Amino acid sequence: MPDIKVTPLGAGQDVGRSCILVSIGGKNIMLDCGMHMGFNDDRRFPDFSYITQNGRLTEFLDCVIISHFHLDHCGALPYMSEMVGYDGPIYMTHPTKAICPILLEDFRKITVDKKGETNFFTSQMIKDCMKKVVPLNLHQTVQVDDELEIKAYYAGHVLGAAMVQIKVGSESVVYTGDYNMTPDRHLGAAWIDKCRPDILISESTYATTIRDSKRCRERDFLKKVHETVERGGKVLIPVFALGRAQELCILLETFWERMNLKAPIYFSTGLTEKANHYYKLFITWTNQKIRKTFVQRNMFEFKHIKAFDRSYADNPGPMVVFATPGMLHAGQSLQIFKKWAGNEKNMVIMPGYCVQGTVGHKILNGQKKLEMEGRATLDVKLQVEYMSFSAHADAKGIMQLIRMAEPRNMLLVHGEAKKMEFLKDKIEQEFSISCFMPANGETTTIVTNPSVPVDISLNLLKREMALGGPLPDAKKPRTMHGTLIMKDNSLRLVSPEQALKELGLNEHQLRFTCRVQLHDPHSDTDTLSRIYTHLKSVLKSYSIQHVPDGTVIVESIVIKVTSSAEEPNLKVILLSWSYQDEELGSFLSTLLKKGLPS
Amino acid sequence: MDGDCSSLLPAVCLVLADPKQTPPDDTSLEKLLDWFKDLHSQSNGQVLLEHQPCLLEFISSVCASKATDPAILSFTLKLTGLLAASKQDFHLLEEGGHLVCVFEREAWSVCDLWEDASVRSGWIQGLLNMLKHQQALDFICRQGLIKVILQLQNDRSLFVACLANQLLVQILKLLTPSDVTSGSDAVVSSKSSSSLDWVSVSSEITNAVVEALSSENHPQVLQGVQLLSLVLSQCEEPIRSSLWKDVLPPLEVLINRGSEPLTQPLMTVLRAAVMTPLLGQSEYKVEEFLEVMLGTGNRKEGILCATLIVKLEKCPKVLKRKAMDIILLPLQCVSTQSQDEKEVDLVLKEPLSQKALCISLLVQSLSSLAELAHKEYFEGVCIPSVTSRVVQLLRVCSGHCTSSLLHVSACTHLIGSCKIQRCGLDTLGALSVYEDNLDLRKDIFGVLLDYLKSPDSHATVLKKTFQAVLRWIGVCASFPDLLQFISNDLFPVLEKRMCDVRWEVRDSTLEFITQLTVALSDNSGFVEVLYTSGLVSILLSLLSDTEGYVRASAVTAVGEAVTSSVQQMALVSKINLLEEALAQMMIILSQDTEGFPRRAVVKTFTSWLKGSNPITALDSSLSSVLSLGGNDFDWEVKMHTLELAEALMEKMLTCCPYAVQSFSSSERTRLTQSLSKLKDLGLFDVLLNGLFDCDRPVCEKSCQLLLKLKRLNAEKADFDHDALVLKACGNRWGDEVQSRFLNKQQVKASEHVLIGGGEGTEKDLHCIKEIPLSVILQILDLDDMQRMLKLSSDHVVNSPRSLMEDILSAAQQSEENIVDCY
Repeated sequence: MPDIKVTPLGAGQDVGRSCILVSIGGKNIMLDCGMHMGFNDDRRFPDFSYITQNGRLTEFLDCVIISHFHLDHCGALPYMSEMVGYDGPIYMTHPTKAICPILLEDFRKITVDKKGETNFFTSQMIKDCMKKVVPLNLHQTVQVDDELEIKAYYAGHVLGAAMVQIKVGSESVVYTGDYNMTPDRHLGAAWIDKCRPDILISESTYATTIRDSKRCRERDFLKKVHETVERGGKVLIPVFALGRAQELCILLETFWERMNLKAPIYFSTGLTEKANHYYKLFITWTNQKIRKTFVQRNMFEFKHIKAFDRSYADNPGPMVVFATPGMLHAGQSLQIFKKWAGNEKNMVIMPGYCVQGTVGHKILNGQKKLEMEGRATLDVKLQVEYMSFSAHADAKGIMQLIRMAEPRNMLLVHGEAKKMEFLKDKIEQEFSISCFMPANGETTTIVTNPSVPVDISLNLLKREMALGGPLPDAKKPRTMHGTLIMKDNSLRLVSPEQALKELGLNEHQLRFTCRVQLHDPHSDTDTLSRIYTHLKSVLKSYSIQHVPDGTVIVESIVIKVTSSAEEPNLKVILLSWSYQDEELGSFLSTLLKKGLPS
Repeated sequence: MDGDCSSLLPAVCLVLADPKQTPPDDTSLEKLLDWFKDLHSQSNGQVLLEHQPCLLEFISSVCASKATDPAILSFTLKLTGLLAASKQDFHLLEEGGHLVCVFEREAWSVCDLWEDASVRSGWIQGLLNMLKHQQALDFICRQGLIKVILQLQNDRSLFVACLANQLLVQILKLLTPSDVTSGSDAVVSSKSSSSLDWVSVSSEITNAVVEALSSENHPQVLQGVQLLSLVLSQCEEPIRSSLWKDVLPPLEVLINRGSEPLTQPLMTVLRAAVMTPLLGQSEYKVEEFLEVMLGTGNRKEGILCATLIVKLEKCPKVLKRKAMDIILLPLQCVSTQSQDEKEVDLVLKEPLSQKALCISLLVQSLSSLAELAHKEYFEGVCIPSVTSRVVQLLRVCSGHCTSSLLHVSACTHLIGSCKIQRCGLDTLGALSVYEDNLDLRKDIFGVLLDYLKSPDSHATVLKKTFQAVLRWIGVCASFPDLLQFISNDLFPVLEKRMCDVRWEVRDSTLEFITQLTVALSDNSGFVEVLYTSGLVSILLSLLSDTEGYVRASAVTAVGEAVTSSVQQMALVSKINLLEEALAQMMIILSQDTEGFPRRAVVKTFTSWLKGSNPITALDSSLSSVLSLGGNDFDWEVKMHTLELAEALMEKMLTCCPYAVQSFSSSERTRLTQSLSKLKDLGLFDVLLNGLFDCDRPVCEKSCQLLLKLKRLNAEKADFDHDALVLKACGNRWGDEVQSRFLNKQQVKASEHVLIGGGEGTEKDLHCIKEIPLSVILQILDLDDMQRMLKLSSDHVVNSPRSLMEDILSAAQQSEENIVDCY
């Protein structure tokens, strides 16, 4: 039986880096190629040696698909394509292709700056990798080769994020990447066709959470910023160049406008211009509100948010500063943090994950004394807040997506084992489908029952209609008889006559013959007449003919009687029938073996 | 282990052993193990457990707890193994019954923990960590763990199965006498002292391999085959050949069966086998198997096998010949002339008529050829004929199919196939190493040009084409017709490609032009052709391309073009390239929103400055480049600016090398002049601002350059200091230097007061708007700063102390931060 195999190399029962292998219809596809930012050696990348030992990734993989630009989904891509050596096609949406190199470059810049870093890719490698990327449009079916096709759907989450349907013949898999089922301030909600895939591979970051509305979190954020500014404090928001930063900028910009606030807001890096450029360029990927507003006013051209100069950090009075990098481990965000940390009026808001070892990680864990370079101790007196704005589907959203796509099986990735377990039970109960949650390195195999599409000739359908019965209905399967022709990669069911005609073949009749001996003290002609009479009485509904040339015919069955001169009473009855009358033929031979009624 | 760590470790152990605590983030435990690994390698026979009894307590309490988190249990298993790697700690652990307690598999099954793959993998890794001495092996065997390991070899988790194989290989290695006798930590040579029957251990493993290879269950066969490959590549004699002898019968069956899913793993076995002395001994049948593999199974694997054979040193010529034929066959089939039709048709008719198979065969054939060409493995093969076929194949792929070609159906599969085009172009490039091919250069350049011209060429194909063109131009440089090709054929296509709608193509074209200019920069004819073509003006126009990558490549290409024009002085007067380039580059440096182009500009200036022919026109721009680059918000632009500053210092101060002892007065004047010119260029501002930058690499580089200056200053103390006074006000570095200066002044003043001196510090505050460079260099404790910068670890603190503090503070944090990710 054909099957689909799914093996996570990452994101199997964890929220680390995503990298999932799918084998479907003889094709091998890698879904996402993420990096773990918490390590500074090869452990940050998926171990590709499990895919193929000789580094022949190009031969093994038919394509790589990247769902969105976050580094835990695309960070290992340049390593894989330029250092391990994958030369095949890589697919991602247009915005992802545009933004991905910015984030990779951003991370490379803060990584190469660190000590003890090994085996990391260069700018040139990022560029060379991006040159191999084939961009995808939403809802456009792309043929990877003759058999494999992929189609992207809107996933929300971040600009350009996509879910992707992978199809080989009638078998299909949908991979969600990270998605969000509720629209947020700058993006819309995920959506997919009722495509009934064999497997829906879904993220499950918030598998057990019904999250409080994003509005609440936003209100909370604005309240905290406002309070700090009101009491004359400074707010530092460490961010990465792209993604959450833009969302928070829109939020503050609107709030400042509404409240008529005067405290300055700064964005510390030039990268924001580029980022905003992409948001403008890909405006169709944002939500309806932004698209509408864009006609009157560009949401990404901020009135209150200005470029930061490092001398501003010492200015008296309140201010809000967005600074990179997001984990407070180097650069401007750290420099500003050091200046402001000693004042309890100030606040730092961490809007994302921080890896162990960074200042961000330490202060989130409540450390109040930090040993900085030069062995000086920094007292952390400012307020530390953690706010999650990440846009993932919660339990309700995941169930909603299942209802939308109607998959035959479900497979959970990108979540914690315990939470997945809970959701798995819920899905199995509510939808009566199997739900899997393989750990990294474990393969889930799902046997499929592929339906093979066949065209049926009109003649054959007409003939079937003539025989009566209901009209053809896609939802009610029924049996059809005909000749199956495989030609030029297509399958057609036609009548045998048409098949002969089309293929230029002669018809060969296949007949079964059988001899039955019986003793009958009559002439051959009489014996035949007796047979005729006997059959007439037994097979009442059949047309039975006694032909003058000395044969009896029942349907296709021909019966003759012979005898030898030596033994005139020993009659040899010859029966012959075509394969269609196989049953009747054997019945008659058995009947005649029993002898004729006296 | 230092004092800080020793005092933190007990608390960390308590936190980790507490089942109520959620385990720390996934990297912390791994990093903790890394630290223990380092400790173990540096221990020099010290017994870690004796000094840290908390570790034993930790292990016992994890073993005793039934509610341990799988992550913590897995960590404990690995840690125990790591500790037991030293013999003394091993004894301590064994005496206390800890080893049995930790590695007793049944214990973990009871509480379902064994179901968790991380526990199974931790169990194996623990044993692997421990397996550094014979006692460890003894323990494994005595506890009957070999059976469990063999079971785990077929685990549902790929990771666990692979680890189990590694562990088995490690066990076999320890059973090998050469390993037993050598190695310091390892092992006593007299096995007789051991109570164990070593033969039975190795035969248990061998039997398992034989059984696996004879099995009908595919995953089991696969694991057996993988273990066999590992043993062949990692174990020594006699284990290697004794295992090989035992597996020969089932292996022979497998190879003769030619089962497709197994061909690749079987090839791995043979690849490992040919590297051993098993090759060349007829009873081991390695050559025989290779020959079978050549002919059976799917033909792609046949080509792989053939490639392996061709590379073998010791191999019968007949077999090599046959292997070469197999590699060439697919290529012959699609590009042969009709008279050979019958011969070829029979063998590959079917595979070539199926598109996917046809492509994969050709790709394999071409990549094998490329691999062999690189190392010049072709023996007795007519290279030009092979090259012609590759050229012909590339023609077919681009749609130039000639009617004389054999497999018309195959040809339709090939038209537009990017896979074959890319592979074919790689192969064609690789074939440039053969001089015999030079006569074919017209054909070769012809087909490459077709690819460059074709509007259908995919961006990745064009990139490969450029690479191939470059290789062939490199070997054809001496032919007079090359320049004609470049000017008449190549340049017009390049001009077109530079205006391609795809940024990938524009960028690859620019990269190609740069490489071409570098390769042919000493060829005056080329430079003339370059300047008489319209290429240069398009290069300049690409400096304002919409894509940052392209602008950066354009900057580099223009930079090279200028360099080459400077080398051929005669041309410079005809064009105002440099002027225009400088103007546009300054716009990029001051206005470009992306880092790459700005970085490229500064790098280009540095390379111009370092060039053998000085470009005098640069002088007017240098000050702006230094100021813009030094104030850039991209730290890499700042780094490149510092490299430019370094080049500038080298150039201007080399007339008076640092080591020279005595100076004539004219030299001294010159030095003073040079320094004051550097000051006018703003170089010192760049260095001093860099010193207080927020990015460590920038500080480090600035510090290094300032130290150089300081040394020079010290050596030539008698030059004119007054000429080198810097304005402290209005500069970023000014505040820092001023405050340090004032601090020193205050210290001095207070000393003065103590002695009975007067006031006046307030007054001094306003007096230091200008400070001589020599004073600045004295105020700044540069040596100390450099030492500190080297010590600092960029705030992703890698120290074990910080790691343990993080684990402890995370445990105190009651509120769980919701999982989030970028």
